[in-house]
Amino acid sequence: MKSKDTRDIIGGFALVALGVFAALYAQRYDIGELQEMGPGYFPVALGILLAILGLFIAIPAFFREGTTIHIEWKSLIWVLISIAIFAIALNKAGLILATILSVLAASIPSKSSWKTRIILALCIAAITYSVFLLGLGMVLPVWPWSH
Amino acid sequence: MTITDGLLLGLQSAMQPNILMYCFIGVFLGTLIGVLPGIGALAAISLLLPVTYHMDAATSIVMLAGVYYGAEYGGSTASILLNLPGTASNAVTCLDGHPMAKQGRAGVALFTTTIASFIGGVFGILALIIFAPYITAIGLKFGPTEYFSMMVLGLIAASTLASGSPAKGLAMVVLGLLLGTAGADVNSGITRFDFDIPELADGINLVALAMGLFGVAEIISSITRARDAKSNEKITMRSMIPTKEDVKASAMPILRGSGIGGFFGALPGTGASIAAFMSYAMEKKVAKDPSRFGKGAIEGIAAPEAANNAAVQCAFIPTLTLGIPGSATMAIMLGALIIHGIQPGPMLVAEQPVLFWGLIVSFFIGNLMLMVLNIPLIGVWVSILRIPYHVLYPAILVFIALGVYSVQNNASDILMVGLIGLLGYGMFVLRFEAAPLLLGFVLGPLMEENLRRALLLSYGDLSTFVDNPISAWILAASGLILLYSLWSALRRFAKRRALKSG
Repeated sequence: MKSKDTRDIIGGFALVALGVFAALYAQRYDIGELQEMGPGYFPVALGILLAILGLFIAIPAFFREGTTIHIEWKSLIWVLISIAIFAIALNKAGLILATILSVLAASIPSKSSWKTRIILALCIAAITYSVFLLGLGMVLPVWPWSH
Repeated sequence: MTITDGLLLGLQSAMQPNILMYCFIGVFLGTLIGVLPGIGALAAISLLLPVTYHMDAATSIVMLAGVYYGAEYGGSTASILLNLPGTASNAVTCLDGHPMAKQGRAGVALFTTTIASFIGGVFGILALIIFAPYITAIGLKFGPTEYFSMMVLGLIAASTLASGSPAKGLAMVVLGLLLGTAGADVNSGITRFDFDIPELADGINLVALAMGLFGVAEIISSITRARDAKSNEKITMRSMIPTKEDVKASAMPILRGSGIGGFFGALPGTGASIAAFMSYAMEKKVAKDPSRFGKGAIEGIAAPEAANNAAVQCAFIPTLTLGIPGSATMAIMLGALIIHGIQPGPMLVAEQPVLFWGLIVSFFIGNLMLMVLNIPLIGVWVSILRIPYHVLYPAILVFIALGVYSVQNNASDILMVGLIGLLGYGMFVLRFEAAPLLLGFVLGPLMEENLRRALLLSYGDLSTFVDNPISAWILAASGLILLYSLWSALRRFAKRRALKSG
């Protein structure tokens, strides 16, 4: 147990920051008036509202106990890497290689052995090829040389 | 058009082979993802959304709806056999379903939940048929003022009633509304919040947002947590036959559950999960011997399963007749219709009778298909429960990436999903709910549009929202909900204080 609810303090102030940023950034659009709202009116109002709600979340959190925050760093990082690999490799290396690489990256945080991971990657590549290209008829580069 | 004419028209539409096929695909996939714990209807529907871009409006909505109500059928399987809810609204089924399985009555439990689901579903469809014309008639009288207030009510109810912290729920709605303003402004054509990045000029893609928040974030948080619980239960047809006492004990709870489910399903903000909990509490209250609950009472699975299916069907009432979705899942359905150029609302029944009635008849057909899928074929689903999560999630990840890419053949959308997934995981870690955000995102542009029009008509006078009687009542209801949630939050706080000092 912690003496403060860190979760809501972080979350609340992050929302305050977002709200203030949105309200300030949207100043560059025409605000208008109530009768004839410009494109800036609604975003500025929402930004202010978000900042106020953020304070409502953060301030009470100083006066109550919270639990420690637990983050699955390994899962988080490898899932994001896997998505990035897929995004970059899809057009350059084709569907099959992109799938294999991204499945391998994604499976690192799990307990599987490397043999299982490789078999899994090959199977998923076969499934995506048959579902998305043969089944749904999507047009995608399949191999690095198929341009 | 009378109800009979409508149903006949719907029958013609729903019996077309391709609609039947997509209805089957929908309920099949729905059962599948319902059975698998850790992936819900919302993630599955967002995953299928890009696929529907290549289909027509009727088939897409029939399929997506099938996933939605199919998941309620499948969800009870894992609750009963593994004590893990397949979807959130099946959580309460664990309480008595799993004890039944331990007593060797898993077959009876699975049979009862399927029958209860079917009756609840049919009840919900009938309620939809009966009430839709009335709500439509009210909706036709709505102007921008009433619409704006109605959306305020929906968003407040959705963000405060179902969440632990009303302030956090409301903040997520506002954040969703704010994200919804990104992209071109309809009135002036000015691009907002694009930060001079051409990819952001069209705003945030609904598919990318839904998949990032519900797919990617869910995967990140489940990889190490997912228990690979195994069930070696063999379910035979013979073991599914309930005794006379079982039938007698579950008949009334199913009817009560259907009623409660239909009511909470149609209200904005409440939904299948709340309906299931409410009906369980109700059964416990009316039971002669409440101590049986939690030890395998058949009422404890029959009522909630009828309730969540009735709720799911009735959730279509406000979405189809007013164009105002009550939950994030319905918001995605609304998004799917808008993508196909159909604006749900009071004009839908009159302008798109084939779509409306075809959808209703397809609900009947889908529920019949689900009976077949869940009773004779239960063995298939039980064996699917044996697929471990570490095999499943890399495949889901690749499907998410390909799905979002297929919307505009744009690889930067995949990176966007990653970023939104990061946001979603951050929200998960800090215990912020993602569903109100998505609801706000979908309603944002509609809300801004109606607010602007209402104030244009009233020459900028804000009192138009309280001078208009319908709008005043709706806003009063929203105020009451806000006060109620504030009061219950304060009460919780006071209780904790009392516990600490005492």
